[in-house]
Amino acid sequence: MKAPLSWLKDMVSIEITAEELAARMTMAGLEAEKIEHLGAEWGDKVYVAEVLNVTQHPDADRLVLADIQAGEHRLTVVTGAPNIATGQKVVLALAGARLVDAYADEPGKMKTLKPGKIRGIMSEGMVCSEKELGMSDEHEGILVLPDDAPVGTLLQHYLGDTVIEFEITPNLVHAFSVRGLAGEAGAILNEPVRELAVASMDGVPVQENLVRIDAPQLCSRYIGVIIDGVQVEPSPAWLAGRLAAAGVRPINNLVDITNYVMLEIGQPLHAFDLRNVAGERIIVRTATDGEQMETLDHTMRTFTAADLLITDAEKPVAVAGVMGGVNSEVLDDTTSILLESANFDMVSVRQTGRRLKLRTDALARFERGLDPNLSWNAAMRAVQLVLDVCPDATVRCYADEYPVKKAPINISLPFVKIEKVLGMAIDAATVVNVLSRLGFQPVISGETLSVTVPTNRSDVTLSEDVIEEVARIVGYDNLPATMPIGETPIVERDAMFLLERAVRESLVAAGAFEGRSYVTVSESAQQTFAGVTRESTENHLVRLINPLNDAQPVLRTSLLPRLIDAVAENLKHEKTVRLFEIGHAFFGTTPDELPDEPSHLAFAYAGYREPFNRFAPQVRKLNTEQAAAQELDYFDVKGALEVALERVGATDLTYARSEHPALHPGRTASVKVKGEHIGTIGEVRPDLAKELGVGENRLVVAEIDLARVHQLLGGQAKMQISVDHFLPVEQDFAFLVDKSVPAADVEQALRRNAGPLLTDIVLFDVFEGKQIGADKKSLAYRLTFTAPDRALTDAELEKQRVKIQKGVKALVGGELRA
Amino acid sequence: MSDIQSIRTQALERLEHLSTLEDAQTWEADYLGPKGAVKLFQRSLGSLSAEERPAAGRAANDLSRELTEAFAPILERLQAESLTAGMASDSIDVTLPGRTPTVGAAHPINAMIDELIEIFAHMGFQSVFGPEVETGRYNFDLLNIPADHPARDVWDTMIVQAPNAEIIMRTHTSPMQARTMERMEPPVRVIVPGKAYRFEAQDASHEWQFTQLEGLMVDKDVRLSDLKGVLQEMARQLFGPERKVRFRCDFFPFVEPGVDFSVDCAVCDGKGCRVCKYTGWLEMGGAGMVHPNVLRGVGYDPKVYSGFAFGLGIERIIMMKYGVNDIRAFQANDLRFLERFAAAGA
Repeated sequence: MKAPLSWLKDMVSIEITAEELAARMTMAGLEAEKIEHLGAEWGDKVYVAEVLNVTQHPDADRLVLADIQAGEHRLTVVTGAPNIATGQKVVLALAGARLVDAYADEPGKMKTLKPGKIRGIMSEGMVCSEKELGMSDEHEGILVLPDDAPVGTLLQHYLGDTVIEFEITPNLVHAFSVRGLAGEAGAILNEPVRELAVASMDGVPVQENLVRIDAPQLCSRYIGVIIDGVQVEPSPAWLAGRLAAAGVRPINNLVDITNYVMLEIGQPLHAFDLRNVAGERIIVRTATDGEQMETLDHTMRTFTAADLLITDAEKPVAVAGVMGGVNSEVLDDTTSILLESANFDMVSVRQTGRRLKLRTDALARFERGLDPNLSWNAAMRAVQLVLDVCPDATVRCYADEYPVKKAPINISLPFVKIEKVLGMAIDAATVVNVLSRLGFQPVISGETLSVTVPTNRSDVTLSEDVIEEVARIVGYDNLPATMPIGETPIVERDAMFLLERAVRESLVAAGAFEGRSYVTVSESAQQTFAGVTRESTENHLVRLINPLNDAQPVLRTSLLPRLIDAVAENLKHEKTVRLFEIGHAFFGTTPDELPDEPSHLAFAYAGYREPFNRFAPQVRKLNTEQAAAQELDYFDVKGALEVALERVGATDLTYARSEHPALHPGRTASVKVKGEHIGTIGEVRPDLAKELGVGENRLVVAEIDLARVHQLLGGQAKMQISVDHFLPVEQDFAFLVDKSVPAADVEQALRRNAGPLLTDIVLFDVFEGKQIGADKKSLAYRLTFTAPDRALTDAELEKQRVKIQKGVKALVGGELRA
Repeated sequence: MSDIQSIRTQALERLEHLSTLEDAQTWEADYLGPKGAVKLFQRSLGSLSAEERPAAGRAANDLSRELTEAFAPILERLQAESLTAGMASDSIDVTLPGRTPTVGAAHPINAMIDELIEIFAHMGFQSVFGPEVETGRYNFDLLNIPADHPARDVWDTMIVQAPNAEIIMRTHTSPMQARTMERMEPPVRVIVPGKAYRFEAQDASHEWQFTQLEGLMVDKDVRLSDLKGVLQEMARQLFGPERKVRFRCDFFPFVEPGVDFSVDCAVCDGKGCRVCKYTGWLEMGGAGMVHPNVLRGVGYDPKVYSGFAFGLGIERIIMMKYGVNDIRAFQANDLRFLERFAAAGA
């Protein structure tokens, strides 16, 4: 809401600057978002001036020479303005003034005024139109100022203004007007608020059947006033200027007055052309389903039985609280009007606005719950302004239907509650003073504070509300900072969070960077990686009705699509990309219920293992095979995954060859904990990788359902660390097995036969070659044995070695090599 | 005897000219080694007469001792010289870059969440986590934001398809206020870090998917000044001991009185600079005393219990602390951005 400072000053004395006022209002809950100084651009070259004499240009029929004076400046101006006349107060721009170029194609383009000869006669300045001053698009003639305009004054001091734009929070309906903001300023500055000039209805006849309310639950009050003898014309400069400063486009004097009073008092008004109000009467009723009317924005609207209409004896003439109808709007030849000042139900107005997809200034006020007691004052203010602006106007009659008068409420609270809530004691005199300044009627009797709340403060219903009123005027600044008293509860740590954090820490230590992606994905991207953690048939997709990007309406079931996009982007400037992400995936379960949101861990790696520097092999100098060996592959992600999951106690991970449509059939595995599938690891198919923007690089991905890991581990990550003081003994074994035997099986066979003293097992070589047979491979392991209580003897080790040799042969057919 | 004299003369003569460790080893072998001159002489003693033998034996022992003593300092000197020369040839350009270990980084948002969790744990707040897809009941109704009230417009909501229910992306972490209070009895002290979503156009300072930290404390006799104290403590821990918290009046339907809180700018010490837009203050979030309707909604008696709640934007804090100027960087997953936090350790 834009509040011109001059308008506020009509009602309350403000001795501080606009900036100071804005700061103090902001602290009290009326946030000033912007301060604009209107007219500042006119500078010190644009004056209020007087036309002393006008004579014909000797050489041009359409031009005149005007003798203009503004204080010490007296000069001759050549102008073609048709409306210039001796004795007028006008705006004079001197050489060097910055003005809007009225003839430029680009709207609002500025130019600097230079003196110049027009048809042989020197013009030393310019008499300005509204357009040239940037006030409107009016350029038919010059701007003529009122007779009392102060000649010789800079225009910015006469027509300029300072406008403070406030953000009015939804609870504050009383401050959604200049009058309301003046009241707030008065309370803050401890200044009284001056009342506005309003008309009186003394002697004006009441016409009972002018207004009938058929839906009293949706319309608590309706005031109609008939005014005859109005003349529709452009508003006087002060009125148009005020509206323009407040950001409302002037239309004509009558419409402008309704808008002016809405801005000033907060009550939306409407003026109907009485000629088109059939039967000269108003009936407020709900619409019949399918009833139609064209609104002022020239759109045909169709209503439902829930919409409230203003109708005449025959037809709808306005949508209550939202917008008037074209059929009864004020026209240039209107001579009699029916002025409406009414109160409509906040929810009904809001719902109708939503249904019609219409938001208007009137609706924005009604939907906050206006005070019906405001309607009378607003009507009388508008009548006064109509009488001021239209000298021939007379009030014919009026009606005020207000069946149930809204009465003020009373709130009582123990006085001590103020200190209990705020943690700051405020003395009784200050409390009474502050509340009175805000328009409340406070009474303290004994230990109780009793407050009568004015009817325009529908936001104040509880003792807490009263306490806030006191605090915001006394100033939140004065509040002390204390630490809470009372017992500190035991802080439980969230096990899932701890698991996620441990995984994150170990991956960071392993050289990976954590990403964070948007949770929405496209239908096709979601489809590509569906089923990596659970069968895609188990759940339905969660879709947004209003995604920010229509192409991405689905909540992710996999973190991979976004993470892979990030890899592709990063490869444009990076040689190595190791990204992981921990975040929710979304699986629909039952319609109308919240989806399942397990926490997932996803990886996407691509590029070269070592950063480019003097220690790393220079990939460019290597042959193809050597360079390929430097690429991140399946085993880099597998290693990272193992590190992360072992850290949280998932030691019995198993991997089994598996397939997924997006993944390389020979380089993909299902990851299992305690035999249950919890995710997938693999390299993306080369053709798909290329399509996804990572070019010829191997793209390695994995995704794990961390929530399931957490459940399978029994909720508590366990890790056992013992410190062994006896020296470990290392023994190497190389086994020759069929190529088709998975290494995991060999390792399992080793573990089964290595006995309880085995503390570590590392595969350190995999060899294939003609020497050992085309269908064979050699796997070399180093096993570490440690006894907690003794040094191991050669005999013990030999015994174990034999057992391992036999066991591995029996289980996987492995022959121990020499 | 003349024999031993000549051995001595020759040995001492050569000793004076030793210049390398290799020479010294040769000399040691020639005179003191098992096949050296002194040993050979001692072995030849058997051919001497019984009268000559004792004197010659003593002379040989004396010579062995004398040569050993004379040799020791020379050997030590030559060894030292050799070591020095060896290290000299092994010298490097110490200004060459080091071997960079492969180091990753946690996402700055998670690093900041960790830091906040720790700060609040010290004040007795435990962390709880909740669903990102929520019901209208928890996101709005139980927070005193009725349907068809303009207050509901403040949150531009992303709506999930559901035939007969109001299911949405949570617009704030505040739904966890009600969820927590339904589960726990006072005293309650919790914080809720997590993602939130708004249907909002993106620019350098607006994101539709962002991260909040909610705080909630409910107990007997909780005061607005306690909220200020707790937030001030957080600001001190995050931005340094000089920081001050400022409250101004604001409106959020689920608190009364309502507060908007700022911290004085750490960059300029509150004097006004570009970062704080010359106000001296940086806005952090909204807060206030839990509205009695919210307490009542979860079955707490507002006559017995009171509380405060606050919500702050995690991205905003990081932007302030590290001068990040575009909020979209947090979800761009650009390594050039993420790498900056490897060293910062947030």
